[in-house]
Amino acid sequence: MQNDTIHLDLAELTLEGRAALVSCGQDVKRGQRIAISSSPGLGDLHSPVAGKVEHVDPFRIRIKADGEGEVEPVELNSLKGEGLLAALRELGADLPMAPSLNTLIINGVDEEQGIGSRRKMLASHQPTLERGLSAVQAIYAPAQTVLAVLKDSEHSLAGTASVEIAAKYPSGLDPLVALAATGKEAPEDALVLGLETVFQAGRIMETGLPAMETVVTCGDSQFLVAVGTPAGAILAKSGQTPKDRDRIVLGGVMRGTAASSPRQGVSKKTSAVMLVKNPTPVALDAPCVGCGQCVQHCPARIDPSMITSYAEFGMYDKAEAAHIDSCFECGICGYYCIARRPMLQYIRLAKCELAKAKAQAGEEVAQ
Amino acid sequence: MRPLQPLALTVSAPPHRHCGVTVRGRMGNILLAMAPAVVMAVASFGVSGFRVMAMAVAAAILTEAVCDKFMDRETQIHDLHAAVVGLSFAFLLPASAPWWLAAIGSAISIVLGKMVFGGLGGSPFCAPLIGWAVCRLSWPLFMDLDASMLNVELTYPLAQLKNFGLGFVSVTDLGQLFMGRQLGGLGAVQIAGVLIGGLYLILRKHISWIIPVGVIAGALITAALFNAADPNVYAPATFHVLTGSMMFGAFFLATDGPSSPNRRIPMLLFGLLIGVMIIIIRVYGVYPDGTPFAILLASLFTPVFERIRPKPFGVR
Repeated sequence: MQNDTIHLDLAELTLEGRAALVSCGQDVKRGQRIAISSSPGLGDLHSPVAGKVEHVDPFRIRIKADGEGEVEPVELNSLKGEGLLAALRELGADLPMAPSLNTLIINGVDEEQGIGSRRKMLASHQPTLERGLSAVQAIYAPAQTVLAVLKDSEHSLAGTASVEIAAKYPSGLDPLVALAATGKEAPEDALVLGLETVFQAGRIMETGLPAMETVVTCGDSQFLVAVGTPAGAILAKSGQTPKDRDRIVLGGVMRGTAASSPRQGVSKKTSAVMLVKNPTPVALDAPCVGCGQCVQHCPARIDPSMITSYAEFGMYDKAEAAHIDSCFECGICGYYCIARRPMLQYIRLAKCELAKAKAQAGEEVAQ
Repeated sequence: MRPLQPLALTVSAPPHRHCGVTVRGRMGNILLAMAPAVVMAVASFGVSGFRVMAMAVAAAILTEAVCDKFMDRETQIHDLHAAVVGLSFAFLLPASAPWWLAAIGSAISIVLGKMVFGGLGGSPFCAPLIGWAVCRLSWPLFMDLDASMLNVELTYPLAQLKNFGLGFVSVTDLGQLFMGRQLGGLGAVQIAGVLIGGLYLILRKHISWIIPVGVIAGALITAALFNAADPNVYAPATFHVLTGSMMFGAFFLATDGPSSPNRRIPMLLFGLLIGVMIIIIRVYGVYPDGTPFAILLASLFTPVFERIRPKPFGVR
């Protein structure tokens, strides 16, 4: 593990819907809260470096590292339940609310092939994971905790039962892991947490400082990096150089986000930084040709062709009626689409619009 | 090219990897799969067969380009779908079809079978069948294989069966039928070539095996039932499968994407319905070969079949 070998001159933090608390030119300490989250399942954001805020826009905060100082550690050992949850979220752990929980599932399977970050955490950070595990168990008080691991892997965590997951995409995605662990599709009394979230909770518990690190895979190796480390720096570390028209992908190739610049930083949930060099087709604004490949391959058994066509024409209510909520965004429809439609993008657009409409309707009812 | 400064990355929606099959690739493969039957058709009917195919393909491509022009949009003829439609239509014509019939039918296939629905993917029917149906009803004399092919020594077994009865069918040897020694649609009756192409498409996963198996199984079962009822009147099941455009329909027409169901059980039912309808039309209908009408009819049922679907993930 090459720790702190990537020197951070400049950190770029992606807000992902959080509200920035700092403005340009402001000095920040290491660990200072710079953005606050209002959505469940998303913790607050903290500066991984001490320095000066260089740039703030609705999507990102850029901080130049040229300062000194670090925030004081927080005492967490006395907290339990909701108090601990609130404290950890404030310190940046992406922990959702969950009222009554039967099964807590820790997803230790890397979502896609070619990513080894969670495996690496299981192999090299057992004490941190155990610390994080006891923290999340203290929060959610589940009747049982299950660790999902790759089939034939040796890893385990004290205090958890293990369930083996086949090494075949998309088996490692949260909803399918929940199915494997509980035998039920979309179980109501179960919660799936990614291993990196447990790792970050463990880090917070150990240090009393906010979550500012994650493990990312780049090339064949894994790096423990600060959140906000530019993707380009990680690529350079692993000996890869992006060229014009390449894609830098934050996350796996099936689901990840294409970075807009090599400066874009990794987030707490970024599992990998990939350089896609092949001339893989960029999605086209093409109509559905009705070949049916997406329907045949969809692991959620929905009809992506109809749903994306509804989304294309703004008929989001029909997309909802066609069970868009069952989709867990594996991206397989787009992989097989012979018309190269941006399938996943249409689905995410429709989901986003539906959520917005619901939030608005909720506000109207509240008035 | 001069390198862009600063670095210009490609940004696009996930997935960032693709299976590599494109519309053009698929259509190209379908054309390749039709090649053996094309060769056999030329060997069997000579230059007249080639003439019909060339005319139909050219008319289809030209018609689509003109439609795109009028619809004021970028033409998609490079995706080769128009060529597939034109060639499929030609496969259903007699080799004696006059040039205008091939051209008009092919144009109608494109206009009424594809472009009025907005292009590829919009049509509820397999495009070449629309052209075939219009021609069959409008110019029955020219579409009639028996009347137009008197100068060839090949015979049309299905017409003999329809008009004179089982005893008067001159070629009943399955090997002969398999090698295309029969009249019918000029490419569709090249059973061996069609079968090779169909198997190629299945192996390359361009079409599902379910629909062809459904069609053939449906036809075999229905024909076997009739044959068992009275073997002197009703032809054996194998005879039905190896005559007319049954095989071509099963592998190339019924598997047309937008007009066929997408899930397994609906696909099987769709195939079975086609197979059953082909035999029923052949036995009771006025048309010797029921394949095109059977597929058109089954396409109407596609939305109904599509209602048979599994529960989506997590829905209780």
